[in-house]
Amino acid sequence: MSAALLEQTVNGLMAGSVYVLVALGLVLIYGVMQVLNFAHGVLFMLGGYLCHFFFTRLTGSYAAAVLLAMAALAAVGIALERGVFRPLQGNLRNQVIASLGLILVFENLVIALWGPNALQMKVPATEALVPLGELRFPLQHLLIIALTLAAVAALAAFLKLSKFGTAIRAASQDRQAAMVVGIPVERIDWSTFALGTALAALGGALVGPLFLVFPQMGDAPMVKGLAGILLGGMGSVPGAVVGGLIIGVAEAWATLVLPTDYRDSVAFAIMIAILMLRPRGLFGVRVRGEQ
Amino acid sequence: MVQPRKLLPAVLLCLLPLAAPAQNKVSLGIVTSLSGPMAAPGKFQMNGFRLAEEEINAAGGFAVGGRKHAVELKVYDTRANPAEGASAMQRLATVDRVPLVLGELHSGVAAAEAPVAQDYGIPLILTIPTGPNLTEQGNRFLFRVNANNDQLTAALAEFIARQAWSPLAFIAWNNDAGRGGVNGMKKLLGDSRIGYVGYFNVGEVDFSSHVANIRAGNARAVMLLMDEEPGSLAIKQLRDAGLKTQLVGTLAMGSDRFLKRLDAARLEGMVQYNAFPPNAAMPRIRAFSERYRKKFGEEAHGFAAQSYDGLMLAVAAMQKAGTASDGRAIRDALAAIEHDGVIGTIRFDAKGQAHPPVYVTQWCANGTRRILHPESLKADCGAG
Amino acid sequence: MKSLIGFVAVAALLYAVPSAVREPYLLHVLVLTCLYAIPAMGLNLMLGYTGLVSLGHMAFAGIGAYTAAVLMVDAKLGFWSALVLGTLAAGAAGGAIGAVCLRFRSHYFMIVTLAFGLMLYSVMNNWDEVTRGAAGFAGVPRPAPLGAFGFGPLANFYHLALSAALFAFAVQWWVVRSNFGRVLVALRQDERLAQAKGVNAMLYKTAVFALGSALAGLGGVLHVSFLRVAAPATFNLAESINSVLVVIVGGAGTLAGPALGAALFVGLPEYLRVAAEWRLVLFGAALVLITLFAPQGLGGLIAGGWRRLARTRA
Repeated sequence: MSAALLEQTVNGLMAGSVYVLVALGLVLIYGVMQVLNFAHGVLFMLGGYLCHFFFTRLTGSYAAAVLLAMAALAAVGIALERGVFRPLQGNLRNQVIASLGLILVFENLVIALWGPNALQMKVPATEALVPLGELRFPLQHLLIIALTLAAVAALAAFLKLSKFGTAIRAASQDRQAAMVVGIPVERIDWSTFALGTALAALGGALVGPLFLVFPQMGDAPMVKGLAGILLGGMGSVPGAVVGGLIIGVAEAWATLVLPTDYRDSVAFAIMIAILMLRPRGLFGVRVRGEQ
Repeated sequence: MVQPRKLLPAVLLCLLPLAAPAQNKVSLGIVTSLSGPMAAPGKFQMNGFRLAEEEINAAGGFAVGGRKHAVELKVYDTRANPAEGASAMQRLATVDRVPLVLGELHSGVAAAEAPVAQDYGIPLILTIPTGPNLTEQGNRFLFRVNANNDQLTAALAEFIARQAWSPLAFIAWNNDAGRGGVNGMKKLLGDSRIGYVGYFNVGEVDFSSHVANIRAGNARAVMLLMDEEPGSLAIKQLRDAGLKTQLVGTLAMGSDRFLKRLDAARLEGMVQYNAFPPNAAMPRIRAFSERYRKKFGEEAHGFAAQSYDGLMLAVAAMQKAGTASDGRAIRDALAAIEHDGVIGTIRFDAKGQAHPPVYVTQWCANGTRRILHPESLKADCGAG
Repeated sequence: MKSLIGFVAVAALLYAVPSAVREPYLLHVLVLTCLYAIPAMGLNLMLGYTGLVSLGHMAFAGIGAYTAAVLMVDAKLGFWSALVLGTLAAGAAGGAIGAVCLRFRSHYFMIVTLAFGLMLYSVMNNWDEVTRGAAGFAGVPRPAPLGAFGFGPLANFYHLALSAALFAFAVQWWVVRSNFGRVLVALRQDERLAQAKGVNAMLYKTAVFALGSALAGLGGVLHVSFLRVAAPATFNLAESINSVLVVIVGGAGTLAGPALGAALFVGLPEYLRVAAEWRLVLFGAALVLITLFAPQGLGGLIAGGWRRLARTRA
C-alpha cells in the first residue's frame, strides 16, 4: 500500500506542478488586472504546439525549443493584453466573453493548421527511467517538478527583490495608489500578462514529451489551475503554488480509493467546498469591492 | 508574370477529361470523422473507401442496366456530433440525392443518422461503430459490416478464459466503445475474474493513477479499451513504471502504425482482437495488403479493410438490384447479399448485422504479429 | 400594438415557409436554428437582461432532454407529457443549482456554473444504467401523431419547433415588458442600489435562472426528439460556450438577438460550406470583435440602425 501511496504522491506532485504553472499565470494576471483569463488553457496548449514546432523544425535542442516557445507566447500575451483586455478594462463580463472567443479562435486555429491528430514529441533524454525503490519514473516527471520549483523560486525572488517585481506587487495591491506614486501601470499590465503566458507556455512545453501535443491539452489544466487559485486565494502567489500542488496530490491520492471516473470531481469538490466555507481561499486577502 | 512552361501541364490536365469517354457518375455518401480525437481511425476509414473507389473506377466503373458508372464519394465530416451527423444525412438524402451512405465512426452519431436513412429510404452501411444497440432499433435500412462490441468481446473473452488471466484489470475510454467493452467482458467472464476498472475521458493523457491501482491490485492482465493515441501513452506509462502485466488491446493496437508510436520491446506479448491480420497467409488478405501498401505506403488496417469491403459490397448490391438510384431496391439486395470480402464472407442477419471472423493476434519481439485465435487460422510470427 | 402586428406577420411568414420552399434541407436547417434559439432565449434572459454569465447553460438542456428520453422510452410516456415534465425538471434543477451558484458573485459565479456544467456532463456520460452513457440514448421517438398530423415528416416537425420557438420568444417578451423584467435590468445595472430600494435580489436572480434553465430544457427535449438520440456530446462545455456565443453575437439584451445569433451560427456554415475548424475560428473572432467594438451584437446594431433610419425620416 505504501508503494502505491508514494507512487501517487510523486505523480500528484508532477501533475500539481503543471497546475501550479497555469495557476501562477492566472493569479499574476488577476492580481494586477482583475482579469480572469479563461483563455489561459489554450495559451498552455499553444506553448506545447510551438515547442513541438521549434523542436522539430528549428532546433534539435529541447531546452532551446522550450525557451523559444516561452518567448513566443510572451509576445502573444502582450498582443492579447493590448488588443483585447486593455480596451475592455473594467468590464468583467465582456472580458470573460472575449476570452471565450479567444478559446474558440486558438483551439480551432491549431486544428486548422496542424490537423486534428495528436503530435508526438520524442525527446530521448527525458525518457530515461529513474528508479525509486521498486518504483520507476520517467526523468521528465522529476524534471517537471524540479523546473517548476525553480520557476517558483525565481518568480518569488523577482517579485520580492527586484524593482520591477516590487512594482508589480504594488500595482496588484492598490492600482490607484501605484499610479499616484508614479508606477507605470500600463507597462506593468502587459509585462505581467507576458510573464503569465510565458509560464503557461512552459507548462505546455514541459508536458509535451511526456504525453501528447493535441488541441484539447489545455482544457483540464485550466480548470485545475482555476481550482488551485480558488483554493489558494485569488490574489495570492504563494496561494497559487500551494493550491495547485494540493489539487494535484489530492486528485492522485483520491484515485486510490475512488473510482477513477470521479477523478475530476475532486477538483470540483474542492472548488465548491472552498467557495462555500472560506471564499477568500487559504492565503487570500479580502477581495476589494467585489464580494 | 506567367511562365509558359508552367502553363503547359495545366493545359494538358484540363484536356484530360475530354479525352476520357463520357461516363455516368454515381455519388455515394460517406460520413466520417476527419477532425477531433477520432481523426486517426477516420483516416484508415477514408483510405479504405478511397482504395475501393480507385479500383472500381480504374476498371472503368461498375455495370448496371447496361451502362458503366463511375463511383464518386461525397464525404461529410460529422465531427463526433449527432446533430452534424443528422444534418449530413439530411443533405446527402435531399440535396446530393445519393442512393446509399457508408461509414461513420461513433455509435452515438450513427444513432442519429440511422433514422434519417430510414426516413428517406436509403441504406446506411456502417463500417466501424461497435455499439450493439444500433442494430436493435428495427431499422431495415441500417447495415453493419464490422463486428459489434458483443461479438468482439465474445471472441476475446473466450480466448482470455482459456488463459487463466485473472484478475483482469481495465483501462477504458469513457465512451460507447470503452464502457460497452467493459460491460460486455464483465457479463462474459463473470465479476470474480475482473479486477480494477478505470475509465478516462477522451483527451486525458495521464494514466499514472490507473497504473498505481493496477500495481496495487496485482492484476495478471490489463485490457486497454481505447484507440491508438491514448493506447500508446498508456502502454508506455505502464511499462515505464516497471509493470510487466499481460496487455490486452483493441483492434486499433494491432497495426504497424501503432508499433511506430512505441517500440517492439514495450509491445511484446500484447494480444489484441483484430478484424484483419494484414500478413495472414490467406490470399484475399495478402492481396489486399499488397494493394494497400502500394497506394498508401504503410501496412493495411482492419478499419480500412472493413470500409473497403463496405464500398465493394454496396456496388455489388447495386448491380444485384439492377439500379444505382433506387434506395429501397438496393436495401433489399443488401439484405440477401453474400459478398466475398477481404475480411471474409459478408452476409447480414435479420437485424442487418454481419458476422465477420474475429481474430486474436499477438505482438512478437521482432515487431511482427502472430495469430492465436481462431485455432484453425493460427499462424506464427510474421504471418499475423 | 405595432410590434404585435409585426410579430404576427413574421410568425405567419415563418409558418408559411414549407409551402413556399420545397427544399427539405432548408427546413432541416431552420429546425436546428429553432432548437439552438430556444435555449439561447433562456440564456438571454439570464445573461443579456440580468447580467448573469452562466457557463453551464446547456447542461440544463441536457437535464430536460434526458428526463424526456427516459420518460418516453423507459416509462412509455407520451411526448407531450415528457415535454412538460422535462421542461419542469430542467427548471427545477435550475432553481436548485442556481440558488447555490448565485451565492457567489462575478468571477466566482461563472466558475461555479462551469463546475456544475462539467459535473452534470459527467453524470450524463457515466450513468450508463439511466442515460445509456456515452453511446447515446437511441430510440427517442418523434411525437405521436395528433390525429392525422404526424411528426415524422420534416415540415410538420418544423411547425412544432417553430411553435416552441415562438412560445419561448413570447415568454421572453412578456418577461422583458413586465415588472419582473425591469427589476432584472435594474439588478444588472446596479445591484446594490436595487437592493437598497428593497428588491430581494437573490429571489429574482434565482427565478430568472430557473426560467432560463426551463427554456433550455424545452429546447433540449425538442432536440433529442428531432435527432431521435440523446447524446452527452450535445450538452457539453463546448455547446454551453456556443450558446453564450449565440446570445452575444446575436445581441444580448435584445429580443431578437438569440434568434439572429442562432440563425447565423447554424445557417451560415451550411451555406458557405466553410471547413468546420475555420467556421469556429471565425465565430470566435466575431465574438472577440463584437465584445470590443459592438457589444450590443447584431440585434443591437440592427435596432440601432432602425432607430437612426426612423430619426432621419422624421
